[in-house]
Amino acid sequence: MRKRILIFLIAGFLIYLIDIALNSDESNKDIYITDQELTSLITAWKSQVGRDPTDEEIVKIINNLVEEEILYREALLLGLDKEDRIIKRRLAQKITFLKQETLLENPNQEALKLFYNENKEKYFIKPSYSFTHLFFTKETDSEGRSIQALQGLLTDKTPIDSDPFLLGKNFIDKTAEEIARNFGNDFIAAFANLELNKWSGPFESSFGNHLVLLRDYKEGFYPPFNEIKNQVLNDYFTQTKENALNKYINDVKSEYRIIINPNLEF
Amino acid sequence: MKLSKSSIVLIVALGLFLIYMFGQSESSLEIVDFSVDKPETQTTSIASNEERSPYYGDLHVHTKYSFDAYVFGITATPDDAYRYAKGEGIKHPLGYEMKLREPLDFYAVTDHGIFLGMINAFADTTTKASQKPWAEPFHNLNRPENMNDASFGERANLFSSVLRGAIVNPYPYWHPKVIKAWLTKNTAVALKSFDYDVHKSAWADIARAAEEHNDPGKFTSFIGYEFTSSTNVEGGNLHRNVIFNSSEAPIRPWSRIDSINPEDLWTWMDKLRDKGVDSLAMPHNSNGSNGQMFEMETFRGYPIDVAYSEKRMRNEPIVEITQVKGTSETHPLLSPDDEWADFEIMNKRIGSRPPTYSMPQGGYVRDAYLRGLRLEWTRQGNPYKFGLIGSSDSHTGAGAYDENNYWSKVGLLDGTAQARGAVPLSAERVKMLREYAEEYKQPLGISEEEQGTYTAPGFFDQWGASGLAVVWSENNTRDSIFAALKRKETFATTGTRMAVRFFAGYDMQSIDLNSESLIKEAYTKGVTMGADLMAEGTKSPDFIVWAQRDKNGSPLQRIQIIKGWIDATNSVPYEMVYDVACSDGLSVDPLTNRCPDNGARVNINDCSISQDVGSAELKTTWSDPDFDPAVKSFYYVRVLENPTCRWSTWDAIKAGLKPRAVLHQTIQERAWTSPIWFIPEEGDLDIIPLAGSVSAGD
Repeated sequence: MRKRILIFLIAGFLIYLIDIALNSDESNKDIYITDQELTSLITAWKSQVGRDPTDEEIVKIINNLVEEEILYREALLLGLDKEDRIIKRRLAQKITFLKQETLLENPNQEALKLFYNENKEKYFIKPSYSFTHLFFTKETDSEGRSIQALQGLLTDKTPIDSDPFLLGKNFIDKTAEEIARNFGNDFIAAFANLELNKWSGPFESSFGNHLVLLRDYKEGFYPPFNEIKNQVLNDYFTQTKENALNKYINDVKSEYRIIINPNLEF
Repeated sequence: MKLSKSSIVLIVALGLFLIYMFGQSESSLEIVDFSVDKPETQTTSIASNEERSPYYGDLHVHTKYSFDAYVFGITATPDDAYRYAKGEGIKHPLGYEMKLREPLDFYAVTDHGIFLGMINAFADTTTKASQKPWAEPFHNLNRPENMNDASFGERANLFSSVLRGAIVNPYPYWHPKVIKAWLTKNTAVALKSFDYDVHKSAWADIARAAEEHNDPGKFTSFIGYEFTSSTNVEGGNLHRNVIFNSSEAPIRPWSRIDSINPEDLWTWMDKLRDKGVDSLAMPHNSNGSNGQMFEMETFRGYPIDVAYSEKRMRNEPIVEITQVKGTSETHPLLSPDDEWADFEIMNKRIGSRPPTYSMPQGGYVRDAYLRGLRLEWTRQGNPYKFGLIGSSDSHTGAGAYDENNYWSKVGLLDGTAQARGAVPLSAERVKMLREYAEEYKQPLGISEEEQGTYTAPGFFDQWGASGLAVVWSENNTRDSIFAALKRKETFATTGTRMAVRFFAGYDMQSIDLNSESLIKEAYTKGVTMGADLMAEGTKSPDFIVWAQRDKNGSPLQRIQIIKGWIDATNSVPYEMVYDVACSDGLSVDPLTNRCPDNGARVNINDCSISQDVGSAELKTTWSDPDFDPAVKSFYYVRVLENPTCRWSTWDAIKAGLKPRAVLHQTIQERAWTSPIWFIPEEGDLDIIPLAGSVSAGD
């Protein structure tokens, strides 16, 4: 709603500028104050002060408006709007909004699907592992004990002499990155050829050796389009907004010639 | 009867006065649901670990919305900050990439509440706020051609001028806001340049970003901000970060515009809690508070009472012990017998110009714990029974936690090794400093040393690559992490990702340290960090402590337990540092309570460290040889790594130079846990404080 008002204001402002340009003869010094302008000013006053303005105050409001308009027109006549960074930026921002807003239509199903396919990697759910491990600390014959323990596990059920691991024994639904964060970067290599529900190892981490029992492996997958439609739509809008302005600038840029002093030293 | 002109003015003034005095404070209680429309991610339940896992994060990060960050050249948005935390690279204002070695688990953008988004709006000459006269110095400050460290004079001056409130014309004397400023001794209230619309829209964007990036089970973000207050005359830093445990948050942050008294912040938080919005505040940089963060009296100088202590603890269960602007554990003047006390000490008041000495008493955590025990002795309650975290306070959106990959935190001001004082200054830079000193009437901050002219020691060179907040929680969700913070099951690190467990109880000897059920048993038979251990007759408690190294860091050197207590007959405070576990199978000397030297060394020429020295993990059961069941005490753990190069040494080596002689060349990265408090049985001692002033309320 506010954006629409902004567009109307901009349109009005442009008409107003054209009007000034067309009636730029010195004699035209009329100032029209519309009913709407006045009512909106009085409403604003009311909301700030919390009561109706007195007649005296209404006169003041009108006088302020008139003075502002006069100063504004005199400034234009003097060309004070030229080479003013504030005004330049303001106008640049206005056109930016215009260009970004005009393109914000709901995409049809095909366009959205196309966008989804182009950015599929972003929505990929990574594979994850659930596992139990036995830890043999570096502090006491890590490798020897782990090899012995593995033999014990694979043959008879002699009690295993392993050490507690500070981060725990069972890990559920961990991605490769998360496993690397807990055990060190090289540890994940061990998971490549693991058989489900079979003790294997030893594998070396930053802390010692481990025997691993992989309990579950979930393949990575692309979630079905319908499940993540809202997210795709959000991303689509974000990207269209970004693209719109760039496209516009690129389109008109070719019409301009840019001259910069090549000898300027920074 | 017709009202005279003057009585109309009087009535209008009174009306405005009432609106300003009360209206605005009320509006800070309006609650907004900032949650964003997010697709239902698959309803696979989030796995929980009953024995809890450590999650690493940073709860103190600024973006361009902070008045000073913008002045420092930062253009990073809250979205950029969260992307950085998740592992993406973002750009430093000087153009280089900032990227984490491994992503973080949680993050909170905490921009300054005061002037939130304002400088951004001043500088953007398209905004209404920018067209006010006081905004002029900021116009297009971060235009591309100004994005270099040569603009530091202009920037440093603007920073201090904002802090002083000098850029802003105050309201005229008759204005109600000036009356309020006078009544509350808070000059910020009278600032004309404050624009609530800009303020609220910046806040909404920060909240939106936090909501969008929150990904339960994978990554947690909090809606938060920094309450940036300081005492009126001394400029004692009273800064706190506030985070909310929900998508619902107030429509705007409570800032120093509302009040500079932290007690009013807590009142506001209490009121929000009554409305169902829970939050907590975390004081930071107590080291730069000139002793005012942990005072023995209230902000207004009244005695602390039990109600004050309870209110403070309800709202501030956590304190940030370490960050870029120094570490606030303890100070060599406060702990002369602690060989590790001289660690990353920053001894200036925050934001002071020229840099001004900050008194250590009342500014350091260990001292605060002792003060809390003393206040409790005089029946005033213990307002200083907080847990510990670290965080960065980076103003670039990106925390710098690695000594070897460090950009400090204020963008264009300290983004180069020269500016930070690690390598000598170029001739132009010296000239610039001279001009700056002259133009802004500041001391000339240079120092002639063996390798050339450096910035004078004592400013950016006192800052460091620190720190991280770590929580033990069931999973990586907002609720779980927030709950861990509230029960203080947290520890702080100086940027290293080591992990440490800490338990105390009366039956800990029965737990086999090599048993798989160690943690489960420890939780059942004892209490963990952040909790109280109640006395059981005259039984002496045992402690289990267990630390694991950072797989990318230096190995562990030793675990220490730091005990503080007050004499049971006269409340005199004492402290003691015990080494409890030594690396490489060495054992503690019972006479000195110290581990022998494990021989770990650093080669200062290339920063390489001794191989095969130090431990991957350390674990022990410890009992206090000096335990007295009648004594109120606290115990916290400090874990030390083998020494490594400090960032300033890395900076020098990368420039092909020797490290600067006046700075520490190596540091020992470390972690501190929240304490466990031992609560003796209530004695029948009748304590009558002098003048009976304790009962007088605030």
